[in-house]
Amino acid sequence: MNNLSDRSRDVKLRIDKYINDFKSKNIDLQFNVSISDGFTVNCRSKELENIEYHNDVALGVTVYNNQKKGTASTNNLSDTSIITTINKAIDISKNTQEDQCHGIANENCIQEASEDLGIYYPVNMNIDEVIDMTRECEISAFDSDKRIINSEGSSFSTSNNENMIINSNGTFGHYRSSDHSLSCIVIAQDKSSMERDYWYTSARDFQKLESPDAVGKKAAKRATSRLGAKAISTRSCPVIFSPEMSTSIIGNFLTAISGPAIYKKASFLLDSIGKSIFPDYISLKEEPLIKGGSGSRPFDSDGVITKNKTIINDGILETYLLDTYSSRKLNQKCTGNGVLTNIVIESKNEYPQDILKTMGNGILISEMMGSGANTLTGDYSRGAFGYLIENGKIIAPVTEITVASNLKDMLKNIICIGNDFDHRGNIRTGSILIDNISIGGKS
Amino acid sequence: MKDQASFSELYDLTDSELENLISMACPKSVDFADIYLEYSQSESWSLEDGIVKSGSSNIDGGVGIRSIVGERTGFAYSNSFDYEDLSKAAAMAKSIAKQGTEEKKKIQSIIGYKKLYESESPIDSMSESIKVSFLKKIDKYVRSKDNRVEQVIVNIAASHTSMMVVNSDGLKASDLRPLVRFNIMVILKKGERRERGNSGGGGRISYKEILNDDFGIKHADEALRQANVNLDAVEAKAGMMTVVLGPGWPGVLLHEAIGHGLEGDFNRKKTSAFSGLIGEQVASSQCTIVDDGTIEKRRGSLSIDDEGCITENTMLIEKGILKGYMQDKLNAKLMKTNPTGNGRRESYAHLPMPRMTNTFMLPGEYDQSEIISSVDKGIFAVNFSGGQVDITNGQFVFSASEAYIIERGKVTTPIKGMTLIGNGPEILKKVSMVGNDLKLDDGVGTCGKDGQSVPVGVGQPSLKIDEITVGGTEI
Repeated sequence: MNNLSDRSRDVKLRIDKYINDFKSKNIDLQFNVSISDGFTVNCRSKELENIEYHNDVALGVTVYNNQKKGTASTNNLSDTSIITTINKAIDISKNTQEDQCHGIANENCIQEASEDLGIYYPVNMNIDEVIDMTRECEISAFDSDKRIINSEGSSFSTSNNENMIINSNGTFGHYRSSDHSLSCIVIAQDKSSMERDYWYTSARDFQKLESPDAVGKKAAKRATSRLGAKAISTRSCPVIFSPEMSTSIIGNFLTAISGPAIYKKASFLLDSIGKSIFPDYISLKEEPLIKGGSGSRPFDSDGVITKNKTIINDGILETYLLDTYSSRKLNQKCTGNGVLTNIVIESKNEYPQDILKTMGNGILISEMMGSGANTLTGDYSRGAFGYLIENGKIIAPVTEITVASNLKDMLKNIICIGNDFDHRGNIRTGSILIDNISIGGKS
Repeated sequence: MKDQASFSELYDLTDSELENLISMACPKSVDFADIYLEYSQSESWSLEDGIVKSGSSNIDGGVGIRSIVGERTGFAYSNSFDYEDLSKAAAMAKSIAKQGTEEKKKIQSIIGYKKLYESESPIDSMSESIKVSFLKKIDKYVRSKDNRVEQVIVNIAASHTSMMVVNSDGLKASDLRPLVRFNIMVILKKGERRERGNSGGGGRISYKEILNDDFGIKHADEALRQANVNLDAVEAKAGMMTVVLGPGWPGVLLHEAIGHGLEGDFNRKKTSAFSGLIGEQVASSQCTIVDDGTIEKRRGSLSIDDEGCITENTMLIEKGILKGYMQDKLNAKLMKTNPTGNGRRESYAHLPMPRMTNTFMLPGEYDQSEIISSVDKGIFAVNFSGGQVDITNGQFVFSASEAYIIERGKVTTPIKGMTLIGNGPEILKKVSMVGNDLKLDDGVGTCGKDGQSVPVGVGQPSLKIDEITVGGTEI
């Protein structure tokens, strides 16, 4: 409890008391509290555009009243407000129906503040220095290419966060974390077209951010590389999904194997444990405790301790991702997945240096739009922007194309994973090369 | 809280304290400042697997203070209504400007307006037990109608928001806003195949208007029908095609293809594909498109926007000619024009910006049957799950959840996994027939921009796009 802020310590003491008060009435309570503060600086057209100061509080209470559940939340931590919130949740629990699977987690629950995950690096920043850094980022973009004619600006954001869980079973978990990010969105123009693109860097530790200059230059390079995009014909071909796009495909897979999707029978991967989903040289692991990881967390939303696990082993699905409720519902062991932490993809084959060369001819997809990933059926159909690749080289940007397949086939048809891993988000993968994707074009 | 004027009393903030705060946030070195107070209660109930598993209730309230100098904004907020906390927030907001001498601001006018919806909270308008038994009834109905039902998820949600805004021009305005919503999702199973259907509706109305048998059964039937259609749907073919869009929700096309591109901020910054095109032909002459925040009880409607401006029916495109943009105060001032009542924010903790309200195309002259029979080979798209746009190059995408093949003027086989992609300024010029069957959506739309979500409405008559790129797995 050493790194508890005074505010959290005060809230915890009061919550402990409420929990005790309701014990005699046979009502179980669970509190999830998050507190964060920080600020965002935006600069545009080489000038400061705005400063936003943030301070957010959320207290959620879940009530289990004879296997009946109610939840309520508030953004005010006063005694009156917390008591009103508890009573609201109890009122709701009186009207919902009994469900044997409801109730506080009772295995592998966190009891104490946990080991240092290297995710908390508070810094005292001088606002003028932050403004200078944010301006520098956008200026670098403008200076790097004269086709950068406009901008949506650069933005620096920082926050310090504190999370806490306390419940009637004696579970207590707490951790602090920080997030820092710098992003830049610029607009490139030539005679025929105007295109925007962006780049961002994010890290738990401010010192680990990419330099403002690098972020601005990458944003500029990405925007200018889109100029003069052409339409192409409809075809079926291999496609490389950039690391950012690959992350979204792996994300769709993870949604389909989440406990709620399985027990609601809303997944294309029902009854798939032990079945081959990926090629046999690919494995997927969850590593909740990576030092400094953007998804690193000591416990999940039910207070269950997060653990390393193998999700895909040599292509085969080993487990669904179960929180306390869905594990009871499916009569399986809880995997501590009331939250999804860091996911890492691994390949037994080589990670090619130049995945474009490995593909030879095809399309590189750098952006997808629209909500066309259906995790019930696996149907996949989205709008996209990308680049035409011939003999391992970028020939031209391509626009107004669609990407379609079925997620089941896409995962099976993975040819290789590039070595260009994206470490910013909680899903860590390189570019993914997939064979046999339908591309819709203008002719 | 029954009366809008009582808002400040609720928090022990007197007009004179609000005047002090606005004076702090708007010294002589600041052009404009406003204080936005908000208190919001919401709840939701959900049924899945045949039981009402959970309900939730949320209370959120706070105050956002911003100070503007030229194009610069300073912004801070507080989740307490305590005068001391608000003084701190005002000091942080004004730090965007150089030091300036303070000037005493007065509240001079209280904005009056026509109310577009009732003030009462929908949450308390019905007992919990009625809400719960309604959910059960709908579930039972769906399961009795089809024995292939694998899952039924029914949700109801309601919120009630009190807002008040006070600004350095002396304006004070407040509003009470109800919002309710009903959603149903059904999964049907046939052999190994599972497909879903969705339906729902709502608006700035009371629970009474959605928690009744007619309403619930209408949407339950619709969800079942859609799931049924999807069970027989075949793979969509990719390529350029003629597409007929049905009336109502497919108006999400307008929202994406042109709506966002006509928001004032993008045009002031000249980052929109529609920048500088006022007076130009941007759509076929059959297209007249408005953004109308003044329709009673609609989900996207507001009596006043979040800056205290009375909402309007704004002409965006008239017979194909671009007429105007949607504006909030900041962008209107910088573009030397008037606000249009489109200044909206997700909450007190977010800055306002130009946002759509209810955006739709006015009706044309054709019957839907005439439009469909004019197509030799194409697609009839009836429902969409959502869309997205890149306002700079104008490229937009939207994904169909119910669509059919048209062959020789007749609607035939359903298709699945179909996506449309096009370029806003190009595609509207290819609208060759507009139907006489204007319909607004059922009231479940939410629009996201810069991380802020707000409720919106869309609508359109049936219309024909001569050619647009269709995505699908068949080549």
